[in-house]
Amino acid sequence: MATVSFKGTTRYYAGVDRPAVDRLDLEVADGEFLVLVGPSGCGKSTTLRMLAGLEGVDEGQLWIGDRDATNLPPKDRDIAMVFQNYALYPHMTVAENIGFHLKIQKMPKAERTERVLAAAKLLDLEKYLDRKPAKLSGGQRQRVAMGRAIVRRPQVFCMDEPLSNLDAKLRVQTRTQIASLQRELGVTTIYVTHDQVEAMTMGDRVAVLKDGQLQQCDTPVGLFARPANVFVAGFIGSPAMNLLPAKMTAEGASFGGIEVGITPAQRRALTTGEAVLGVRPEGWLITDQGVPATVDVVEELGSDQYLYCTVEGHPELITVRTQGLSKRQRGDLIHLRPQQDALHVFDAATGVRVAE
Amino acid sequence: MVAQLTPPLTRAPARVSGTTAEHLVGKKRLFWPFLLPALALYVAFLVLPTVATAVLSFTHWAGAGDTPTFTGIDQYAQMFASESFQDSFVNTLVYVVIGGIGTFVLAFLFTTVLRDMRGGKLVRAILFFPNIVAPVALGMFLGFVFKFQPGKQGMANFLLEHLGLGAVKFLQPENVTWAVTGSIMWASAGFYITILMAAVDRIPPYLYEDSDLAGASPWQKFRHVTLPLTWDVVGVAGVLWTINAIKIFELVFVLAGPGTYSPPIRAWTLGIYVFDRSFGTQGTPEYGTACACAVVMIALVSVLVVLLRRLMRRDAIQF
Amino acid sequence: MSTVELRRPPRRPKPAPGSKRFSPLRAVGLTVVGLFTAFNLLVLYWLVAASFKTPVEIFTDPFGLPKHWFALGKPFRNFAYAWEQAGFGHAFLVTVLLVAACAVAIVLISAPAAYALTRLGVRGANGLTNVIAIGMGVPFQTVVIPLFVGLAKIHLTNSLFGLFLVYVALSIPFTVFLLTGFFRSLPDELEEAAAIDGASPVRTFFSIMLPLARGGLITGLILNAIGLWNETLLSIVFLQDNAQFTLARALFTFYGAASYQSEYGGLIAGVAIVVLPMLVLYIVLARRIITGLTLGAGK
Repeated sequence: MATVSFKGTTRYYAGVDRPAVDRLDLEVADGEFLVLVGPSGCGKSTTLRMLAGLEGVDEGQLWIGDRDATNLPPKDRDIAMVFQNYALYPHMTVAENIGFHLKIQKMPKAERTERVLAAAKLLDLEKYLDRKPAKLSGGQRQRVAMGRAIVRRPQVFCMDEPLSNLDAKLRVQTRTQIASLQRELGVTTIYVTHDQVEAMTMGDRVAVLKDGQLQQCDTPVGLFARPANVFVAGFIGSPAMNLLPAKMTAEGASFGGIEVGITPAQRRALTTGEAVLGVRPEGWLITDQGVPATVDVVEELGSDQYLYCTVEGHPELITVRTQGLSKRQRGDLIHLRPQQDALHVFDAATGVRVAE
Repeated sequence: MVAQLTPPLTRAPARVSGTTAEHLVGKKRLFWPFLLPALALYVAFLVLPTVATAVLSFTHWAGAGDTPTFTGIDQYAQMFASESFQDSFVNTLVYVVIGGIGTFVLAFLFTTVLRDMRGGKLVRAILFFPNIVAPVALGMFLGFVFKFQPGKQGMANFLLEHLGLGAVKFLQPENVTWAVTGSIMWASAGFYITILMAAVDRIPPYLYEDSDLAGASPWQKFRHVTLPLTWDVVGVAGVLWTINAIKIFELVFVLAGPGTYSPPIRAWTLGIYVFDRSFGTQGTPEYGTACACAVVMIALVSVLVVLLRRLMRRDAIQF
Repeated sequence: MSTVELRRPPRRPKPAPGSKRFSPLRAVGLTVVGLFTAFNLLVLYWLVAASFKTPVEIFTDPFGLPKHWFALGKPFRNFAYAWEQAGFGHAFLVTVLLVAACAVAIVLISAPAAYALTRLGVRGANGLTNVIAIGMGVPFQTVVIPLFVGLAKIHLTNSLFGLFLVYVALSIPFTVFLLTGFFRSLPDELEEAAAIDGASPVRTFFSIMLPLARGGLITGLILNAIGLWNETLLSIVFLQDNAQFTLARALFTFYGAASYQSEYGGLIAGVAIVVLPMLVLYIVLARRIITGLTLGAGK
């Protein structure tokens, strides 16, 4: 088992001036499950491929355990990778696929078979060992790919969107399986996904990337409760946080004709007279006095209800979560006020969170 | 006769049988009008002449002015006993087998390098170049390359002499088979490299990435990824090679000989044998013998192709 | 977050670690690829240079630039000789016309056949396709004698029309095979849409399917044109009269005479006249030629 450290790690692609990954600093603890998440093109896969040794590192360093792995060939890094498309060899059986890396490493046949069997048992693949990948279901293929990683007993697992080719139901199921398997094996794992729900449910910590830059790395709770900037605030959480531009006034910040209190520290930290207020859908109070809002769409989920409301002077719909099965309709006029402890304040100019 | 020459074709999607839609009935009426011209030419110019050749091979016939007389297998017996046929047969086998092995080893070697080479596309285009040149022109050009005439050496001997090595009589009868084998390999490698590379390009890159993670060497990647996943295409390429190598004619005819009439017997191929006994001879033509040799050619194609496909057979792979 | 600062991206990003690791196989491969490529380029240079040289220059200075004819102010002397004296000018014209006529006729006959074999849903069509494809494996030598005898009976030997017939017929297996691949890859929907719109099957073929298969038809034209441009054996058998010679045929005849007269300059110019048009075609259409040739094999 090992730690993983990115130290100012940078990656360029030929012909592109902006780095795909820009001076990434990230420490992953031994045995930790770290999720890299971000929109497509944010550099999360590139980060993983640098760690695996499939991409060069243009600047900075990359450490695995106490070794500088920056220029180490992939096979010497003691890592295993699960590819998005599983990368199963179509001409090999499941057993051959799982044992392929061991065979290349010249492990004696008896030991190899034993390890393959153990991995197959763990993943419930024993019945399929003689089949070719084409004869397997999507979930089984995914497990074979996992088996190939496990059987190496590596120091680090790299997983590149391993669930994106599964249907929705199987994805939820496999999500828990992978997470519990990782906890059982205790292997440091870097997991790439574009799905923030996957990130929040699986990771010990989640690193959010955008345009090659690390936005924030924190526990799921930390990300949710204290997003470091407007991007993270909008990216994490579903439905997304409402982001409302507000003007500073003598008493606090004003939005839609109401005053919202902010702390003196926050006021001092703001560089200009404008702020962005963040309120999650569940952070609203529906009261008698507040911002007048017209219900535009009612989304009934049974347990919850989401109201999408228009507010005068604000171009975007505001999402409000209320109790399920309440009798609100399109066209209703309601008044909204953010709960004081659910308010996030960001600097309008920089997008950075302003601490309380 | 040449069973299993082509790869198993992917079947057209099975149409729902039962009641056939009106427009499909109309379409089916087009079948024969559309197919007939091609089929008629095919039968008239390929099928019937092949049958005629087979029949004529059992006759003695000196060509125009003479009438074929049935002689049974006499033509074959005489032909098999003749030195010229034996040389032709052995040479043709050398070109097919040794030239084939050489060409494919070369092509395989290139696939390990060209897959991730910068400028690989340009290199492939340059390698392919000899394939668009007329074999007769290639033969002449190679004649210049291999020319042995002290003081007026061809390119190969020019280089050998400048390197301080002695000139070689490449086109002497005892050397010409090997000079031709080398030339064929040079001229055709580009075609087979291109075919194989087209197949290699279809292998998903993540399989090579996974073998990088496993620490596979270039040889192991070739052995465990490239070869198994291009196996079917290698098989088809092998069939094409066999077909093309057996009918090889112009290149050898021009390279090894004076050009207008046949080269020395030591350099003959089956194709040259047929030509020499029918159209290229300076004496009386022997159409019957030529036909017997032509039958041997098509039999050889069939046997080698069936053998090759049997050897290369394996379960289909989907990816 | 974003400080203004000048950062210059590397001109070439670093390759993955280990990818440039030394391996004997790779080293041998790179060497052979390099030598091979260099040799082919050298050959091309030699051919072009030699076509402007005197025989003495060709053999004593094979890699130098041509001088003699340039010094005499007659740089194109070899080409003029080949074009006029050796009859390559006339042969060029004959070849262009013959090859163009053949290529068009081949595609005109093969395209409907390929369509009929793939898209009409006729039982046994696949078997028939295979039967025609087998024709690709028949060496010309196998059919040339009966063809010659048969065509002689109807006075079509020593005739360009006879050669035209032979060329067209013998090119059908390959072309039909190539085009069945193209037609098979076309989607069903367009044909069905045309049927729903009330287009007749013949009309559907000409106005929907042929335009869709245009890429395949052009590939078929080009590949046949190259093949027939370079074809020698059949032209030797079926043409005896100088006035009807194709380029490859003329080159074949000229070879003996040129060696005898030491007219190597003119001979190489003749080779260049045969090769260079194909080279130009290849440079312009390399991708289509290569994909076309590998299509049948790769599928």
